[in-house]
Amino acid sequence: MRELEDLLQERLEQLEAGAPLEVCLAGLPEEAADLLTLSATLREVDYPTRDSEVVAAQRAHLLKLAAQQQEKPTASPPQARRSGTRLLPRWLQPLRAFSSVGALAFICATIAVAVIAIAWWSSRDTQVASVPSPHPTSEARLAQRPSASPTSQAPVVQSALPLPTVESTYYVLLPVISGPEIRDPQHATLREARGLVQVQTDAGAWSTVNTGHVVQAGQRIRTGRLSSVKLAFYDGSQARMGAKTEVSVDELDAHRSDGSRVVALTQWHGETDHDVVPASAPGSRYKVRTPSATAEAKGTRFHVLVTADQITRFNVDEGAISATGMNATVTVVAGQSTTVESGQAPSEPVFRITGEGQVTQIGATWIIAGQTFLTHDGTVIVGNPQVGDWVFVEGRLLPDDTRIADWIVLLRRSAENRFTITGRVQAIEDAAWTVAGQSIVVDDETDIEDDTEIEIGDLVRVEGVILQDGTLLAEHILLVEEQPGLPFRFTGVVQEIAEETWTISGVATTVDEATTIDEGLAVGAVVQVQGWILDDGRWLARTIRRAEEEQCQFEFTGEVESIAPWVVAGISFETDEWTAIEPGINIGDQVRVKGRVLEDGTWLAAEIERLDQDEPVLQIVFVGTVDSIDPWVVSHIPLAVDDETIIEGEVAVGDLVRVTASILPDGTWLATRIEPISVDGGGLGCLYITAVVVGVSPDQLELLNWPPVDLEGVPVEGELTVGSVVMLLVCVDTDGSITIVRIVVIYQPEPVVPPPPPAPPVPPPPHDDQNDRVTICHKPNSKNPHTITISRSALQAHLDHGDTIGPCE
Amino acid sequence: MLDTSDADLVKSAQGGDVSAIGELYDRHHEHIFRYVCSHVRDSHSAEDLTGEIFTRMVTNLPNYRPRGVPFRAWLYRIAHNLVVDHYRQQGKHDLVPLCHAETLSEQDDDPGSIVEQRLTVERVKHAMARLDPSQREVVMLRFLVGLSLREVALTLDKTVAAVKSLQHRGLLALRLALQQE
Repeated sequence: MRELEDLLQERLEQLEAGAPLEVCLAGLPEEAADLLTLSATLREVDYPTRDSEVVAAQRAHLLKLAAQQQEKPTASPPQARRSGTRLLPRWLQPLRAFSSVGALAFICATIAVAVIAIAWWSSRDTQVASVPSPHPTSEARLAQRPSASPTSQAPVVQSALPLPTVESTYYVLLPVISGPEIRDPQHATLREARGLVQVQTDAGAWSTVNTGHVVQAGQRIRTGRLSSVKLAFYDGSQARMGAKTEVSVDELDAHRSDGSRVVALTQWHGETDHDVVPASAPGSRYKVRTPSATAEAKGTRFHVLVTADQITRFNVDEGAISATGMNATVTVVAGQSTTVESGQAPSEPVFRITGEGQVTQIGATWIIAGQTFLTHDGTVIVGNPQVGDWVFVEGRLLPDDTRIADWIVLLRRSAENRFTITGRVQAIEDAAWTVAGQSIVVDDETDIEDDTEIEIGDLVRVEGVILQDGTLLAEHILLVEEQPGLPFRFTGVVQEIAEETWTISGVATTVDEATTIDEGLAVGAVVQVQGWILDDGRWLARTIRRAEEEQCQFEFTGEVESIAPWVVAGISFETDEWTAIEPGINIGDQVRVKGRVLEDGTWLAAEIERLDQDEPVLQIVFVGTVDSIDPWVVSHIPLAVDDETIIEGEVAVGDLVRVTASILPDGTWLATRIEPISVDGGGLGCLYITAVVVGVSPDQLELLNWPPVDLEGVPVEGELTVGSVVMLLVCVDTDGSITIVRIVVIYQPEPVVPPPPPAPPVPPPPHDDQNDRVTICHKPNSKNPHTITISRSALQAHLDHGDTIGPCE
Repeated sequence: MLDTSDADLVKSAQGGDVSAIGELYDRHHEHIFRYVCSHVRDSHSAEDLTGEIFTRMVTNLPNYRPRGVPFRAWLYRIAHNLVVDHYRQQGKHDLVPLCHAETLSEQDDDPGSIVEQRLTVERVKHAMARLDPSQREVVMLRFLVGLSLREVALTLDKTVAAVKSLQHRGLLALRLALQQE
């Protein structure tokens, strides 16, 4: 059968490639030939055509919708490093950054400068010509306005502010560039504050602030856990502070003489991302000092990490920076990274690797997306990833080809061998519970909500993993009935504590006499909150407990208020392409949202499922490997099937399947649906690799420290030349085969001007033996060359200004 | 491998080029409509669903990342999800009518051709209704829409091998169904 399937597919591909049917049919067995003919006929069936008016209306609607999306002040791209939300490396994020507020400000500023420059030039030209056109252009109309003020003749604006005398320009741009947060070169505005953000007061105390707060040179800003904030500077440049980061603002200014921008920060610890708008004025500076180094950029995007032991790492995503430590400076270009240890010079820049993929080995050596990474003492591993899980990885490629992992962040647990069961508690013992007839093991890691109150007979929902021997190990047990509202739980940072309301990661959480609160909690603490969303919309906390390091998850239930962006039960959260969103969810639906609170405080949903009103409660859903089909056994669990069991597609032993089962009174698991699932699109993951080009031919690319890359069929963005820095998106299939998805030139070195060829030997000049003098044709100007005799020692100076050896002709 | 043209358009659209959205729509709306038509009873519903699919495309495009998943497969996954949801709402899990080909006769002046084509559509319609849902979905995406094997696999969240098998069985079942009419 397989041979026939393969043969048919082979001929179908020939047919799809344009080969005539007769050619494709040649030599095929009768059955395959019939099927091939049938498939060709199917392609030629004429289907109803669309109503052109409907098509036009739909098209217009989409364009309008797209235009509205462009205008909408979208949230900034999820640049949270190691958060797992960064779907592209930042050197590939201009598309997203384009929609960010910062980039919008940059664009507006650019437009402002361009239009004002046009206005000024038009004004100057008009004054020179003194004869306005009878049909003046808009620029000319601007120029014809009174321009007595000397400022109107300044060639370049001193800041992003429009010149006041160019009134039309000002009015045109006012709606775009006016805003409360920027435009003052001596101040920066805080934006997109999440979690706990504090500014140090003059008295040295720390004051909690929020979006819109303005800071100036001399002030310090810090963020807590699960927190982040952006500093927006007047020219559109911005610095984003990640969690647990402290930064001093040293200088903020713009020199009025030449319009140069000055931003100088000191980063004491933590992480920052910088998006620096290019500044043409030669005196412009954008500096980030750390305890061990200084980075300076003109216009670029880069990341700064300062660890607790004062090691600094600079990663560059766009353009280049210079990094200096101990009087040594290195240039770090896009795709590269340098590390500076305290008291040492910056390390030689190396290229970076980022990506995400499935973990197939952990330990000192990890295998992620089929690639080997070594870990080191400084490797940060978040979320305790295990084999089979999906992780984000960021690392470096050393000159000896070793790949070093600096960050490994759990993105998703493996879908395999997980279960959810809803049923009544029948027995509670120390090591195991019985729920819906199933023995479920609990251990010290099992998170049991209201464990002191759950009683036999209560309805609970249990989530956990299926161990190798088929044991069900509970990770969470939730009480799901007799609650005053819809359940929620999340991890957040305490921002404010009032008598009846705690503000936790932006969520106003009501507390009452029944709320259990861990002792000693204060502002800045990271807590796990459980409770119910009441009918009046209040989030009533049942417990507020100090959170463990790995508990940054959330789950809540509520009504969908918005889908783009997502808002459920008043809570905004983000999704990414891995978020499992049940199809067809609409505004107004009741949904359960589960996900992770990222390092910067972002709530990233992993799953959004619609709650069915008539959802059978005695149901179990799990994912496992098929051990046997007749009888059905999945992950060592025997399953009953009947005529109503839906078995999707072709399932074979060894396949990964999702099983939905009802639990019968006798404890039998009756499968209602068995569906095969592919793991992550069938691959092990994709990595972004940066490397420098050392050779290019029409069909092959040679990269430093990498095997040659076949260019056939691979999209290439940018011009490949020797010395270019390129980013390759490399995806690894389950069989280990590698596909180069695309190649992007991310940095082009300055063109090297070849040195001039050596000057031809100077012929021996006519020589005055007596005085060692030389006769030359002296050309003081083009009209009056004349022959003179000079000392040989003066010959070179004359040649340099154009004289020639020998008498004039 | 990425479809370069689609990828370029997606990139432009993500960068704010509204006209690229129009180009993506122009390029795919007929086939999307054909796919939807294969699942719903009337062309009005098909038009509505087609519009909704592209609306979701626009709203979700900023989050789309190729990662080896072609844009077309991504788009058809949206379509597939919406169609599945349509089934759920309609409670017609096994209903697979093709849209009525009422516009066909208006566009073709050759009476003989009209009859022949209409018969073909009708025959396909009835025969497809007798296929197993998974086989039917694969046959539709492969031969009515024109997706590649890999694109179908990505759209339906199945392995390429499974799709290849479903394709073969689906064609066998369709041939049998056509013979029995």
